Amino acid sequence: MPGFVHSDFAPVVVAVAERCLRRGYGSAGVPAGVRTGIVLVSASGDLASAQHVRATVEAGGRIGPLFFFQSVPNSVAGHLAARWGLRGPVVCLSPTGDPYTDGVAEADLLRDDGDADEVLLILIEQAPEKPTEAVAVLLGGGARP
Amino acid sequence: MVEARVAQLTGVYAVSALGRGADAQLAGALAGVPAFGPVDRFDTAARRVTVAATVPEVATLPDELAAAIDGACRAAGLDRAQRAGCALLLAVHGGPTLGAGPVAGAGPALGPAPAVLAGQLAARCGLSGHTRVYTSACVSASTAVADAAARITRGDVERVVVAAGYLVEPDQFALFDAGRALAVDGAVRPFSAGRRGLLLGDGVAAVVLESSTGRRRGVDPVATVVGWGRAGDAFHPCQPEPGGTGLARAVGGALRRAGLPPQSVGYVNANATGTAQSDTAEAAALRRALGGHADRVPVSSTKSVHGHALEASGLLELVVTALALRHGELPVNAGWLAQDESCPLNVVKDGPRRTTATHALTLNAAFGGANTALLVGVG
Repeated sequence: MPGFVHSDFAPVVVAVAERCLRRGYGSAGVPAGVRTGIVLVSASGDLASAQHVRATVEAGGRIGPLFFFQSVPNSVAGHLAARWGLRGPVVCLSPTGDPYTDGVAEADLLRDDGDADEVLLILIEQAPEKPTEAVAVLLGGGARP
Repeated sequence: MVEARVAQLTGVYAVSALGRGADAQLAGALAGVPAFGPVDRFDTAARRVTVAATVPEVATLPDELAAAIDGACRAAGLDRAQRAGCALLLAVHGGPTLGAGPVAGAGPALGPAPAVLAGQLAARCGLSGHTRVYTSACVSASTAVADAAARITRGDVERVVVAAGYLVEPDQFALFDAGRALAVDGAVRPFSAGRRGLLLGDGVAAVVLESSTGRRRGVDPVATVVGWGRAGDAFHPCQPEPGGTGLARAVGGALRRAGLPPQSVGYVNANATGTAQSDTAEAAALRRALGGHADRVPVSSTKSVHGHALEASGLLELVVTALALRHGELPVNAGWLAQDESCPLNVVKDGPRRTTATHALTLNAAFGGANTALLVGVG
């Protein structure tokens, strides 16, 4: 993925999200006028990048500029939004309970409140010595083929 | 006749380099003296920029947040019993706790993970409702306020505490420095020609939002959150859409929820970070959303004095905006050098401006093309 380095956080988010969106909409993409929000839920965040930044700063070094651009989970959400025309709100949460329940509650609120017609919910966790795991679900979409 | 449910700000509290407490924020914003100075809480020798707006003798983020929540609850007149059942929405930087703390020499592992922090704060402050943690970068706190207002007005809850905090620390400072986002001339100059970028600032804030229960307790609300909007640019991972379409839709959402026309907006506390392309996009958004009124409405960015508090910026700026509107005087946009033709706005430049306006917008935008607009009303 151009612009994202060092960590598989962003590539895995994009992989599950695009698989989900393709299943929902095929190659036609999200219909014009549909406001798709993004809710990204992660306790770990981009652990690999954060660890690299921490170690570099601790050692008194300089960080590569691309780490700035991927320093928050919003960045990969913006990448997805740009590629797929997702014009709804972008909300990132650190779960305080079950991540899926937290994410669905936020997605329901955005839809009920009227700022999103549907929500792409992404759950992602990174852990040391373990594969990065992610799930994407499209909630409330009414325009599936 | 049934009274429409509204979301009132019944208690506010904030800490920034402008001072401690709500009154200090208003006084500092009206004085218009930038609070930036050399960072002494960690080593900046390897950085291009070495200044920020930091609070002297700051405590840890959990302690500052707990104090802010207590301060806001006291201001709202809530005793321990009335805090019970109250939800806590928290806006902080997400991800792991890796030992980058705000206090020099304090060692590693200074703070708990965000979810743990939310639970600890709720327990310390006697809030037993649900908790939610927003990590949406610079729209974290404003999104939390929008969600709180939505939940109150639709009748889900009576009372919500929104708290947010960012204390300048070495990792984010290094990242912003590496991204060449920080102003090398040591000043934040929103919408001005010659602006060079943003500067970071400490910000910890808490507000109590509630339905009309506050008024029944005899509490005079600071302001009412009458409208809110959240929208995405669908443009780029970290650049704003130059035409400001996403931010304009957020403003439109706020006006629509309030049932008010653009002409009702008497002040805009802009997101404007002092960054070239972002401020230009925001000016375009205001023109798109407000039409010709964008020529007339007074605009300033209080980031020019308290700096950019990242996840907490939306709440700190909401507090400043509500207090200024209630006080009847609009904060100055510090750092001004000269008009930038790409930002044709009525910027509050020379000093605080008296106003009788009853409604003000506070805007925030973040990486990912995330945008929020909060519309507050007084009187």
